[in-house]
Order: sequence, then structure tokens, then C-alpha cells
Amino acid sequence: MILKPMIGALAFFILTTSPTTALSMEPMATIKAPVDAVIVLLNDPQYKVAGTKSAQRDEIWKAVKPMFDFDEIAKRAVARNWSDFNDSEKIEFTDVFAKFLGNTYIDKIQGEYHNEQIVYLGQDFYSDTYAEVKTQIVRETLKTPVDYRMLKSDEGRWMVYDIIVEGVSLVKNYRTQFASILSKDKPAQLIQQLKDKLAEQNKRLSEDG
Amino acid sequence: MAMKPRLSFLTVVVVLLTGIVAWASSPATASDDAPPDDAAVSADPVPFDPFDNPSGDSYGDEDLMLQAVADPLIGFNRAMFVFNDKLYFWVLKPVASGYRVVVPTPVRVSVKDFFFNLLAPVRFFNSLFQGKWRSAEGEFCRFVVNTTAGCLGLFNLVRDKPSFNPPEEDFGQTLGYYAFGNGFYIIWPLFGPSTLRDTVGSIGDWALNPVSFMQLVNVDAGELTSGTTNVVSYGVRVINDTSFRIGDYETLKNAAMDPYEAFRNAYIQNRLSKIAQ
Repeated sequence: MILKPMIGALAFFILTTSPTTALSMEPMATIKAPVDAVIVLLNDPQYKVAGTKSAQRDEIWKAVKPMFDFDEIAKRAVARNWSDFNDSEKIEFTDVFAKFLGNTYIDKIQGEYHNEQIVYLGQDFYSDTYAEVKTQIVRETLKTPVDYRMLKSDEGRWMVYDIIVEGVSLVKNYRTQFASILSKDKPAQLIQQLKDKLAEQNKRLSEDG
Repeated sequence: MAMKPRLSFLTVVVVLLTGIVAWASSPATASDDAPPDDAAVSADPVPFDPFDNPSGDSYGDEDLMLQAVADPLIGFNRAMFVFNDKLYFWVLKPVASGYRVVVPTPVRVSVKDFFFNLLAPVRFFNSLFQGKWRSAEGEFCRFVVNTTAGCLGLFNLVRDKPSFNPPEEDFGQTLGYYAFGNGFYIIWPLFGPSTLRDTVGSIGDWALNPVSFMQLVNVDAGELTSGTTNVVSYGVRVINDTSFRIGDYETLKNAAMDPYEAFRNAYIQNRLSKIAQ
């Protein structure tokens, strides 16, 4: 019974920090709102019960998904080979790649969250439409720099198109992998490989609860 | 007297390995293979990212070329990648996980801080070699404070003071600063990913490590400079460092379509970003 007002408060929190309010927010605030929401979800006692892991994963995904511009991420990761994809392949690839990234990283934070602190170091603007938000994850005194590169969409929303962890760009890391696959295989085969990995992942996640 | 050179050689090897392993155990240690010929053949632009190209090159080609690394030893490297992977899952991870359970966090932090402080000369001199006076000053002040008030480095009293915590420099970065290229990519057994330049760099760092420096100039500090002590302290350092990073390697590996490629690219990107700092 005590849970009810808590869920209400949580729902209120998620609603008020949801991306619709991100419309005119500064780049840093656009990162901070969903990240804070994720930490609330990770600390929520409701999800400490066995069998709630996948519900929690869905909630985390809902909170962070609007923060990312997956069209841009997919296009940048495929880079010069993007023109070899036909329109439906582009859509399919973007969708599968987004789910694959979501699964991988949400599983990681769910499994290993131990009160890490997020420090917001600042934001740099390259122009009106490009910005970089610098943060640090602090885990038992170990500091990991994480930078979010953001692009302002046509509707005026700041969205992430790349994440740089310890100087390593996620997009560029995938770019070299996709380039080597696409030097041998067709776009359809790359999509199939991603789908296979995703299916494998989903199977493992559902076994974990 | 005849023993001295042999001992020193052993230490060189051990310390060399140590440095590389430390990188290997960090999540960002890995790899990159932007096929160089690919970049030359295709003329299609890579998406614009202004943060990559302060020089004004509006497409990422310059960056792509930078990230390419020769990999003539790819057969050997792939074998070593598998070897190190098994070593991590079968030995290092179980040992570090057990260690993590048994040894309380404050102790593990102190062990980490102790080794970090001991290696201050490596970072101090490499800051100097690159003319980074502010960084050298920060390294020096932190070393003085932590060696004295911090009980020989067991406590880091200035962790949250930015001016005392400049970017960490090593000899591989010094060589990179003076425009030495990577040479080629190599994965060492035990020590993990490196390049020709960074392997040479680790030898330089070995010489700047206070314990090996004593051996180099033939100071006999008894047990402190013995080969066994070196191996044991190296082992403790690797296990202790790993205990803070359990799970990171797994995530990177699971996130990869081609783990070998992903780690090579990550290694090169990570080193490039450190050289640029």
C-alpha cells in the first residue's frame, strides 16, 4: 500500500522529465533528465524483486531512447557504405541497431549499477547545431570520462549522435567493424548478422528474467 | 656480479609486460582496423563531425586515416587475442572477483593509490618531455603531498583537485607527441594490445619506474629490487586494478560484431585521444 504513492511520485517524475519537455532544453539538461530518471529506476525498490528485470529494462529504454538520434547514429556508423543500403534496408538496419545498442548497454547498467556518481563537467558548442556534453562516471574513485556529442534536430531538440568513452567513439568503433563486414557482404547480410546477435541477446536476457 | 645483467633483463621484460597488461585490463584498450586502402579507394565522404576536425577538414577522412593501423602480424595477434581472452575468463576474472569480495574497497583503493604514486616519476618526466609544465607541476605536487602526508602514497589526498590531476602521460604518448606513428599493431600475451611505438614506450616507462631504475643503475636494495618482488608486485597491481573493472571487458566484447576489430579500433582511438590531451 505504501508503494502506491511511490509509484505515483515516480510516474510524475518520469512524466515531468520526459523528452517532451526537452524541446527547448540546453544540451546538458537534455542528458541529465533521462540519466537521472534511469538512476531513479535503478534504485527503485519495486525492481529489486526477482522477475521484474525485464519490466525495469523496458522502463529504462523508454526513458533513454528519445535522447538518441538513432537515424544519425546508424548513418554515421555505416558512413560511406550508407548509399549501398536501399530505403527499407536503411529503416530496418536503424531499428535493429538501436535495439541491439539498447539491450547491450541497459543490460550492463542493470547488472552492475553500484551507486556510481555522474559528474557533469560542462558543455561545449561547436556551432548552433553541434554541442558536446562532458561527464564523468565515478565508480569507487575510478573516473571514466563519457562525452555525449549532440546535434540539434530540425524541431529544435538536442539529440545524441555519438558517445565517447575514454576517448573511444562508439560510432567510429562500429564504423570500422561494419566497414570490414561490408567489404565482403551485402547490407542485407549485415542486417541479418545484427538480427542474429539481437536474437541471441534476447534469449539470454529472457533467461535472466 | 655476473648475476646483475640477467636480473635486469628479466626485470625489463617483467616491467614491459606490466605496462601493457595494465592497458590490456582497461576497457578502452583495444583495437582498430580502418582498412587503409579502403580509405584511399573510396571517395564518398564520411559524415561530418566538427569535434573530430578542428583543422577544418569538413569530412572525417583525415580522422579515418589517423585511426588506420597496419596489422602485419594479424595471424599471431588473433591467436594472442584468444589467448588473453581465455586468460581473462579462466584466471584473471575469477581471481580478481574473489579478491574483490575478500578485500574491502578502501584497501583496494589504497593499493591502487600506492602503485599510482610509485609510478609518479613516469608521468612527471613524460610531462616534462612534452613541455607540459603545468602537468609536470601537478604531478610533482601530488607526489610530494601523497608521499608525505599520504603515507607513501597509500592515500590520495588531492583526488578532487583538478590542478593536481593532469592527464596521465607515458613514453608512448611522448613519442606520439613528437609525431612517431603507431608502426604496427601487436597483441602481447599477458600484456594485451599495443603497437610498435607503445611497446618502445613501455621500455622507456620501465626505465622511469623507480624500482627498475634502481636496478638499471645497479643499486642493490635487497628484496625490493629482486625479480620475485617485481613479479609479485606486478601481479598484485594487475589483480587490484582489474577488481575495479570487472565487467567492462565483457560489455565491450558483447557489444562487438567483430571483437578483434572492435578492440583494435578502441585501443588506437584511446591512445590517439591521450596523445591529443
